[in-house]
Amino acid sequence: MKRREFLVLSVAALIVARPVRAAGRLRIGVTLHPYYSFVSNIVGDHADVEPLIPAGFNPHAYEPRPEDIRRIGQLDVVVLNGIGHDDFAGRMIAASARPDVTVIEANAEVPLLAALGSMARNGGGGTVVNPHTFLSITGAVQQVYTVARELGRLDPAHAAAYSANARAYARRLRQMRADALGKLSGVGAARLRVATIHGAYDYLLREFGLEVAAVVEPSHGIEPSPAQLARTIDALRGLDVQVVFSELHFPSAYIDTIRRETGIRLYAFSHISYGDFSADVFEREMGHNLDTLVQAILENGA
Amino acid sequence: MVHQIVRPSGVERETLWVGLAAGVILCAAVVTVTLRAAVPEMVALAAHQVDSRSGLTPAEQGLYADLLVAAQDIAAAPAVSSVSDLAAEGLPPFVRDASWRARGAHEWSGWSGEHGEAFYLGQPGDPALAGTLLLRIAGGEGVVWLKPGVVRPPAHPDADALAAAGWKQVVFSFNAGVTR
Repeated sequence: MKRREFLVLSVAALIVARPVRAAGRLRIGVTLHPYYSFVSNIVGDHADVEPLIPAGFNPHAYEPRPEDIRRIGQLDVVVLNGIGHDDFAGRMIAASARPDVTVIEANAEVPLLAALGSMARNGGGGTVVNPHTFLSITGAVQQVYTVARELGRLDPAHAAAYSANARAYARRLRQMRADALGKLSGVGAARLRVATIHGAYDYLLREFGLEVAAVVEPSHGIEPSPAQLARTIDALRGLDVQVVFSELHFPSAYIDTIRRETGIRLYAFSHISYGDFSADVFEREMGHNLDTLVQAILENGA
Repeated sequence: MVHQIVRPSGVERETLWVGLAAGVILCAAVVTVTLRAAVPEMVALAAHQVDSRSGLTPAEQGLYADLLVAAQDIAAAPAVSSVSDLAAEGLPPFVRDASWRARGAHEWSGWSGEHGEAFYLGQPGDPALAGTLLLRIAGGEGVVWLKPGVVRPPAHPDADALAAAGWKQVVFSFNAGVTR
């Protein structure tokens, strides 16, 4: 290739890689399904929301692809979980045409809980945090408020709309929690002893005054070895656990072993990380989680 | 018969040089790792502060998270909201639901301060689950104080008076990048 042609192509590539904003509309990247719902409800029709990873990819095992990295060059801002559930995003942004793209840390104002399960067992000592703040109502509302405020700073013309939308969305989410707790009004204080297959639901259970006694999985999606499973079953018996919460999208034979050996009842939560990205996916699947939790308390803890 | 031992060229010196090279590489690695070790993001707490992640009961952790969110809603309202208004809006932790019982059954009261602040005091019905919590909202920002048991705050509950009376300011640290 001649030097002149190379220069022309290089300049053309730089022009293509520049951020594109359609008539002042923000283009906002998100990593996980709940954040798509949060941001879509905040911005309404005033901005575009784009997932960094395609629907169908498991965010726990996602490895960045060139076509996904390329899309970051078209974004104005990226909203991150930022505390361990979308670590891939940092590498994607660094490798993109916009390594300096504005980042909003959605969890900057959320009081974080220490990680349970594998991360804690590996010596976290309380410094490793549980990144599943999006799997709770209070955690979601706090993040919605933080993201709305930061988007308002980037897009002052729509700041008032973002703030109003965030408060309306927060009211809907709170109503879901109130409806769920209303179904427990006739029962005493919940005193369930709970274990979870994946260490993702501490924030949600904490909202109901419940504490997770044990986490079964050595790592998300990784089945325990027979020796680990035997120790887990002994631990569940020793802790007198009444309920184990598994996950809708991780059916595993070993969960049946736990049920058979311990007689403990199992219920399945949604991790809200699968399927299509949509504005209502968080409300839909969190509604399922709240119904599941209420059912577990009514059947076992009342 | 004459025996002559012929030593290989470079014998022992070669072993010496290899050993020295290995030692230098090892020392360089130790120095590099020591100098470049990442310092954990730990924020030193003042004597009157307690970390929400490690210093609270599970019930207090849930209440603290709810109070921080509630503070933003209260601050955004045109006038200071009463506890009964907040409960009627379904705003946790003021609404009396199953979660309220499971996290200590706090009796909430609210008042306005001399300098335009708003105070909300929660005294537990079950102090074994959670202590007394005081939310102070000033300048649109909420700060939560905690003291075990069922207690009253000082008459003028500013930071100095609360700290002197044994209350702890609840704080949290944001550990972005803990795992990346």
